[in-house]
Amino acid sequence: MKKKVLATLLATAMTVGCLAGCGGSDGAAEAPAAQEPAAEAPAAEEAPAAQEEAPAVEAPATAAEGTDPVANLVAATTGTVTLKVWASEEDQDLTNKLLDDFKAAYPDVTFDITLGAESESTAKDTVLTDVEAAADVYAFADDQINDLVNAGALQEVVANYTFDVVNENVTGAVEAAAVDGKVYAYPMTADNGYFMFYDSSVFSESDVQSLEKMIEVADAAGKKIAMDISNGWYIYAFFQGAGLELKLNDDGLTNTCNWNGQGGTDVAQAILDLTASNVLVDMGDEDMATQIAEGNVVACVNGTWRAETAQTAWGENYAATKLPTFKAGGKDCQMSSYSGYKLIGVNPHSENIGWAMLLAEFLTNESAQTQRFQERGLGPSNIAAASSDAVQANPAIAALAEQAAYATPQRVGGNFWSPAETLGQILASGNPDGTDLQELLDTTVEGITAPVE
Amino acid sequence: MKKALNGIGNYFKNIGIAFVKGDVWVKVSAVLMGAGYIARNQIINGIIMFLVEALFAVLCIGYAAPNLAKFGTLGTVQFEQVFDPLTMTSTINDYDNSFLILLNSIIALFLIVVFLIFWAANIKAVYRLQQKSENGEHINTFKEDVLALFNEKFHITLLTLPAIGIILMNILPILVLVAVAFTNYDQQHMPPSSLFTWVGWSNFKNLFSNSVTVTFGYSFRKVLIWTLVWAVLATFTTYIFGILLAKFINNKQTKMPKMWRTLFIIAIAVPQFVTLLLVRNFFADSGIVNTFCTNIGLTDFLKNVGLVPSNLSYIPFLTNPGWAKVMIVIINIWVGVPYQMLIATGVLMNIPEDQIESARIDGANPLQIFAKITMPYMLFVTGPSLITDFVKNINNFNVIYLLTQDVFVTSDQLLANSNAKEVDLLVTWLFRLTNEYYNYKMASVIGIIVFIICAAFTLITFTRTIKGDKEEEFQ
Amino acid sequence: MKKTVNSIIRHLVLLLLAVVWLIPILWLFVTSFSGYKGINTAHFFPETWTLDNYMQLFFRSDSIVQYNRWFLNTLVIAIFTCLISTILVLMVSYTMSKLRFPGRKQLMSFSIILNMFPGVLSMIAIYFILKTFNLTNSHLGMIIVYSAGAGLGFLICKGFMDTISVSLSEAARLEGASEAKIFFKIILPLSKPIIVYTVISSFLVPWGDFVFAKLMLNSGIATDWTVAIGLFNMLNKSMINKYFSVFCAGGVIISIPISILFLIMQKFYVEGITGGSVKG
Repeated sequence: MKKKVLATLLATAMTVGCLAGCGGSDGAAEAPAAQEPAAEAPAAEEAPAAQEEAPAVEAPATAAEGTDPVANLVAATTGTVTLKVWASEEDQDLTNKLLDDFKAAYPDVTFDITLGAESESTAKDTVLTDVEAAADVYAFADDQINDLVNAGALQEVVANYTFDVVNENVTGAVEAAAVDGKVYAYPMTADNGYFMFYDSSVFSESDVQSLEKMIEVADAAGKKIAMDISNGWYIYAFFQGAGLELKLNDDGLTNTCNWNGQGGTDVAQAILDLTASNVLVDMGDEDMATQIAEGNVVACVNGTWRAETAQTAWGENYAATKLPTFKAGGKDCQMSSYSGYKLIGVNPHSENIGWAMLLAEFLTNESAQTQRFQERGLGPSNIAAASSDAVQANPAIAALAEQAAYATPQRVGGNFWSPAETLGQILASGNPDGTDLQELLDTTVEGITAPVE
Repeated sequence: MKKALNGIGNYFKNIGIAFVKGDVWVKVSAVLMGAGYIARNQIINGIIMFLVEALFAVLCIGYAAPNLAKFGTLGTVQFEQVFDPLTMTSTINDYDNSFLILLNSIIALFLIVVFLIFWAANIKAVYRLQQKSENGEHINTFKEDVLALFNEKFHITLLTLPAIGIILMNILPILVLVAVAFTNYDQQHMPPSSLFTWVGWSNFKNLFSNSVTVTFGYSFRKVLIWTLVWAVLATFTTYIFGILLAKFINNKQTKMPKMWRTLFIIAIAVPQFVTLLLVRNFFADSGIVNTFCTNIGLTDFLKNVGLVPSNLSYIPFLTNPGWAKVMIVIINIWVGVPYQMLIATGVLMNIPEDQIESARIDGANPLQIFAKITMPYMLFVTGPSLITDFVKNINNFNVIYLLTQDVFVTSDQLLANSNAKEVDLLVTWLFRLTNEYYNYKMASVIGIIVFIICAAFTLITFTRTIKGDKEEEFQ
Repeated sequence: MKKTVNSIIRHLVLLLLAVVWLIPILWLFVTSFSGYKGINTAHFFPETWTLDNYMQLFFRSDSIVQYNRWFLNTLVIAIFTCLISTILVLMVSYTMSKLRFPGRKQLMSFSIILNMFPGVLSMIAIYFILKTFNLTNSHLGMIIVYSAGAGLGFLICKGFMDTISVSLSEAARLEGASEAKIFFKIILPLSKPIIVYTVISSFLVPWGDFVFAKLMLNSGIATDWTVAIGLFNMLNKSMINKYFSVFCAGGVIISIPISILFLIMQKFYVEGITGGSVKG
């Protein structure tokens, strides 16, 4: 098994022509073959392509010729290498297996690796409380990357050792892992965005093109469509979809937002109208899971983490697709979304930073991503792993790919969340105070764009 | 107040007197602490004193000085780390950690103050020794000194250990956080990667001012009002219902009072976080109570009455501000009444029967008896614990946090802009500010305000009870 | 006749109230036997009954459920916490109640006010203080957190000691007993009820606290946790639909010993909080 992993690794490294010795005692002998000067070439090709879409991502430097850092590291390592790893609760079994593989890949080194459970969505909270006590290698969702980088909790990926992180992962994922053009993390999955799940016994493929139609159909069936409207992450879909803008300023802290501009009130009115039907309901993720299982919710806006629930409940009628359109100010707007990625980061305060980086690479390489898909159904960010037939055939991942055309990477300052959440709450509950919509949006935007001292 | 000032004045006067009137040994003691003792043949005391001084000197040089030197700026050297891709190792510079500087400086300052008090006590003690030896009085041997610690100085022995714990766990953290209120310690200035520094009173100004973007003033006012309303409601509802329930169960006509009491106690014997998290799911928007209410038509009825917004298909027990506030108070009654019932039972059993009897003969009805005799007696006995409950409710973190965290979304935009919610108490707000937004500076300011409010309530009531006669009543 | 009707109504009202108070507890109990792992929103009683949730707690430990370890951890922490807390509380309450020394009242007012400071705020400072001693992520650190400041909670215990007649200690003092001897030989034996109260109430602290524990035990490794964090963690957004009934089972299990202790304690609780007034 471990031979196979090594072989795959090496093959990948060589075919892409990029760098690096495979670790281990026998790695030293094989290493020079992989270290062709040509290694720089693909990176150079990639650079202009990346520059077209906003943050250009610099490919990390490759190691100098004639040296093998990994072999050096192995040689320089005496005593036990202690590493602490955090992976989400659901990822524990798989990560444990990968950790064993990692230890086996470096038989000459004694490892003491402990695995802790920390959900990707809350990693930031635990890390920021005390960066020095955080794990050496940890998984997190890409929306946290700005805060983590600002807090100095991520080691810049200045070099790759076992595979080329920038070129072997999809561009979106690499951009999500980068801040100001510097890569700070290793993409692990490319499936952290949202799209539409539906029960195909209720909706036809043409029904799910428009939200209005879906509501009509669901109403006729006496069922509900669920979306977490009182949540900044999801409500973004409407405003962005209608062509309004929300983006992070260059300072990396504050936001620019024109949701209160031309057409903003139309979107707000659209959300009011859509929820007034009481068919599209504002519902949190946990409730959705129960309601899907109970059979009350027949379609929902959610992400791959709910695929299992939906599949169990709807069986062969389980289907997924891109988000529908909605009517704002008389015209159809395609709902947008945040594309989301899960990343693995290395803590710069780690005592064994070299090993932490190697481990982070190991946990995100093609083989690991393939296993992650096979065992947990998570969509790979690795280009080779993502192109396999099995991945392409997965409905949830296909829906994500379809939605990708309308998705934007999540780059937003911390002041966005509370005001946007409240805006969603007010609209979803039918604007109970009857506040003028323009005024409502003005206050929201003031909150979102508030300066950060 | 005047008395306190006098006391402080006397304290320094006595040190002065001791120093001026003392002989050469007392004066040497001011520099070399053990000297005065050794001169009076208290060799071991002298050595201990000397060791204390030496230890203090070492601490000053090794610990206090380097930290206090940076106390004015809270550090200037930013964290820098360089990773070498070839050796795969990183080098970290000798950076300043503002928080550790602050923490260590405060500990150092604290130690210095303690030492100064110790030093003053030493001079006074040595002067007293001098007086004793001049008057030819008996000077304690070391053994006698130790024995005194179990007799007339027993309080020192008993209080030392608790005091150390309290200093470590309560006083030092409070001092640190008071200091943080005057810095810009927040998510943009978080050690170890960034430095923070002193900003004076600007955080306090933020809390009391209001601008378009800084809504702390608005939120503070709203949260404070709800905190006080909540504390009053929570305290009095549980108190009154507790007494009523206790009376009801204690009534002679009630059969098996013990069994009934136990039934109510079972509800609170389950750990609070378990029951509260459970109740939260019980009353969730798509929870079981809502299913039930929909089935019996209550939801539709409330919709028609206008208590539930027409676009909802459920009762927003914990998600609508009005509903949530009412529900929290009700659930708190559920949690708190059994406790109050227990206390009330204990007190009621001791109400002087003859008073009630004579009132009854005078023709008072049960309501009058309750209002004129039972309640005043209850208030007299449980008054202090009522105030404690009030203060505890101001700080009632568990009930609010466990019932509304992750569930309640505010629909007040100005509150949202400063990360507050309608149902927040000051403590839950400051907890969220630190835990989710790392806004330690504002949280500290709010914490200080909470502290002042609580301290004021306590001072008013407890000084009365402490000074009151109750303490000596049975002695 | 009227009397019987009255009596029936009275008991019916009590029964109704008791049902209201016990329904959530009953729900906890029945859900712990539910075959469906998520939250059951349609039925009060589970549709399928199983012991699987309990089996999972005790026999199928994984990186999320480590109930046996949690229970052991919490037990160890609780035992030491209650030992140290009780000793500290007794020391302070005896001093404040029975000894007279200059500055006593000021010290009392001061400590009562000190006790008012919201604990959640000083949390982060305590964390870093303990971190400098390398005590975070250790159970020793937790014991210190729970017990070190216990001396401040002396009020109830002192109130009780105030009611112990001073003539006893006076008599002993005349016979030449030292203050220490009076403390150990006379006051302590007479304070048994309040000691029991203090022991049990401090024993219960670690079982119910999740705020401090979550901050201090932040390694993410389930075997380090206490019951409270473990159970709290099960209601995480990503876990609640797979672990809700397991959470209920865990809640039932810790409730059993705690309820028993609580029932023992309540008697002393009343005596303590109402102080001497009850006796008088």
